[in-house]
Amino acid sequence: MEDFEPAIVAFVCNWCTYTAADLAGTSRLSYPDNIRLIRVMCTGMVDSQYVIKAFLEGADAVVVSGCHPGDCHYINGNYKARRRIKLLKEILPRFGIDKDRLKLTWIGASDGIEFAKLMTRFNDQVMEMGPCQTRLDRAI
Amino acid sequence: MISTIDRNDKDITQSLKVFFAKLLEKGVVDALLLPIGLPNSTAVMPSLITRPDQVDQAVPLGPSFFINAARMVSRLSWKESGRKTAVLLRPCEIRAFIELTKLKQGSRDELVIIGMDCPMALSRTNYDSYMENHSQADDHWINTVFPVPGKDADGYEFSPACASCQNPFPVNADLSFLFFGADLDQGIPVRADTPKGEEMLEALSLSPGIESDQEPANRAQVMKDIQEDHGAVFKAMSKDISQQTDTIEKLNSFFSSCINCYNCRNVCPVCYCRECVFSTDVFSHEPIQYHQWAGKNGQIKMPSDTLFYHLTRMAHISHACVGCGQCSNACPSNIPLSQLFTSVAAQTQAAFDYVPGLDDPPPFSVFHEDEFQETVGIE
Repeated sequence: MEDFEPAIVAFVCNWCTYTAADLAGTSRLSYPDNIRLIRVMCTGMVDSQYVIKAFLEGADAVVVSGCHPGDCHYINGNYKARRRIKLLKEILPRFGIDKDRLKLTWIGASDGIEFAKLMTRFNDQVMEMGPCQTRLDRAI
Repeated sequence: MISTIDRNDKDITQSLKVFFAKLLEKGVVDALLLPIGLPNSTAVMPSLITRPDQVDQAVPLGPSFFINAARMVSRLSWKESGRKTAVLLRPCEIRAFIELTKLKQGSRDELVIIGMDCPMALSRTNYDSYMENHSQADDHWINTVFPVPGKDADGYEFSPACASCQNPFPVNADLSFLFFGADLDQGIPVRADTPKGEEMLEALSLSPGIESDQEPANRAQVMKDIQEDHGAVFKAMSKDISQQTDTIEKLNSFFSSCINCYNCRNVCPVCYCRECVFSTDVFSHEPIQYHQWAGKNGQIKMPSDTLFYHLTRMAHISHACVGCGQCSNACPSNIPLSQLFTSVAAQTQAAFDYVPGLDDPPPFSVFHEDEFQETVGIE
């Protein structure tokens, strides 16, 4: 699909990845505007249903990104997020949503360059994968 | 410790009733929660009994399974009552209750949990038709499913959940009736699994075990056979249901007759939230919202959010699913929910190496620093 513009929803934590995204902006680094950032206080609060809803509403991919292990502002929210992503990577592929469309990363507050780089790379990967089935077959 | 409940020429149902009545008469417990046949009806519901004569209406080992009693036990034990209660539960009911105790929605402190080798159950529809020409007052069902259960009883297939259940054996009980492989003519073996259970057996001064504290000789073999048979049924069913739902389009068809009644949630013993998000204002959408959604594709099914609801439930509680099958029973549209849920549950439980009903902490209450590294990163 030549003119495919992926829709990627990224849940980013206030303390690390959002700050990194902000830093990328103030450093005049660019990243694909297909990535829609949703700032949350902690990846630990990203309930499974946020991710499910994003896919059912037609997102082609979802990213959850927070602080590196040990750096969580709330001590262990990112560890909880990791278990939840593990769970979703078991459930979603059963229904045709490829597990590679869901990514969890740790991007620290000072990693503006890393943020721009990873988002660009992931956008390329999603372009390659093509549209998620949920975009074509709407969930009832 | 294993003792025997003597039959004294009574049938099994009657012998068990005598056993339960004695618990009340001797003051071993203050109350019993037993499956009780309701008057002028074939319905059997867990009921709290405080008078020994009421035990007569009990259906301790029937094909009826109207509700998973774990939630009822939770109602009796979420807070101290000052009463000691014995509860008779199927193995999946015990497992579900143990899951609730982990969430502080129940406590074993004042309870004596009596478990049993499971007599399996019929689906609600099959049960209604079975009861047209059978009674639960006699041992007919018991003699059909014990000591060695087949795939059906009198031509009535077990409910899909029971037919594919690999653990119809009591775990985490205080007392367990052991039927599989037992020579029930010689009496009913009952095993004390905890000091509380032992105290109870001593108080009743039952006969010692048939073969001096041994489990019925064939029980281990029967258990193994059931696990293999039911395991094969589960595998085939799980494969089939996975193929039926392996795309969103197919999942849409699978749930197309769902009316969003949320019965499956209401009867699910491990759907633990006090208030479900799907019943909150989060889902009281503004009217214009529906128009906007419809505008995206030209239409939106109402009631909406059907798949969203079912997928969320899978994510929230499949790790704790005990496979009791009540979601299927409660579905007015006859969607084979339990087949899908148990299939998903087997996968999520394996992913976290978690078995609901045992004493491990729930997988989303704990974490380790160095786990699941493969889920992290963008290559």
